[in-house]
Amino acid sequence: MTPTLQAAAIGVAALGTGATAVTLMNEDVPDLAVPAGPWEAGTELDGRVFRLSSLVKESGEVLDETKLSFADGRFQSSRCQIYCDFGWSSYQTWTEGEVTHFAATTHCPDAPHTVVWYGTVEGDELHFEGTWTTRRWYWTRQINVIGDGSPVGPGGEAISG
Amino acid sequence: MNRPAPTPTNLNPLSIALRIVAVVLAATWAAHLIRDALNLTIMPANEQQVHRAIMLGTVAYIGLLALPFVPGAEIGIAMLTAFGAAIAPLVYAATVIAMLLSYTLGRLLPIAALARLLTFLRMRRAADLVMRAAPLSQDARLAILLEGSPPRTLALALRHRYLALALSVNIPGNAVIGGGGGIMIMAGLSGLFSPLPTALTIAIAVAPVPLAVMLFGA
Repeated sequence: MTPTLQAAAIGVAALGTGATAVTLMNEDVPDLAVPAGPWEAGTELDGRVFRLSSLVKESGEVLDETKLSFADGRFQSSRCQIYCDFGWSSYQTWTEGEVTHFAATTHCPDAPHTVVWYGTVEGDELHFEGTWTTRRWYWTRQINVIGDGSPVGPGGEAISG
Repeated sequence: MNRPAPTPTNLNPLSIALRIVAVVLAATWAAHLIRDALNLTIMPANEQQVHRAIMLGTVAYIGLLALPFVPGAEIGIAMLTAFGAAIAPLVYAATVIAMLLSYTLGRLLPIAALARLLTFLRMRRAADLVMRAAPLSQDARLAILLEGSPPRTLALALRHRYLALALSVNIPGNAVIGGGGGIMIMAGLSGLFSPLPTALTIAIAVAPVPLAVMLFGA
């Protein structure tokens, strides 16, 4: 093997070892722990749309308004759709009296983002919390989000009364 | 024409180590302040751009740090300052890779080819350094590597060359002899440093700053 090839081989080995070491040093951050319950594929919220106001727990930053839509056993966040084309994701529910609990885990197809949602809907009030976790090979970042929602009509207008 | 000999300093290895610790602590504290002032938050809206910037910065960091007489450490410091402890493992690994890349170039590439490569890259001072070392014996190349080091370090090098190498890459002002990249190319050229002990030496030698950032959570 020529010296140049040896140098190239050692360079590749060093890069591989370095990347592996960084990946091993990268501590995972768990997604939001969804409370245990008799979860089943959800349809109870189908047809409903909520306008969310939310903020980042770590920084207190208020996020832009988000529309959360439920249809055909799936749901979609308009803001997540802008950040990354998450598409429609299935959701799960269970009902406790007047309260409908919902949860969903969504994945960005273009980047290693995982968003976990958990919330409750009681009448016209929605409360939720969630984690947005990005798992790159060199680090894991997470933001925690909480917020509330109120129903809007299919066209986006607020429903009152 | 003979080059003027560098003025030896009166620092001993202990003094150098203490200064390094002081610089690391000061840098970590300063990084805290700057990061708070920047208030750089990675959000879903900007994460992909940040990721691309980090990847680009890392490649540039490795490439520049590996080249003699080219400032590159600032990129690593900027990344540590901006992203804190979370980015420290990546900066650390990139630093080790850059140092080993330089060493590998010096060790394996024929000296004429290395000089031509550096000349092609318009790095005249680095090419001069390599050509200056070409006709010298292994011990004389080691002496170049330690130019400007305290006399005690030179004496130490004769007995503990890996320890001397670790100190050399950390000595403030080593840019005069090409910085970390230049030192590692010379280490490779000298033929006195075996690959595995050199890799272990560098892995330890470049650890203080990233380790401090990780421990102090800057």
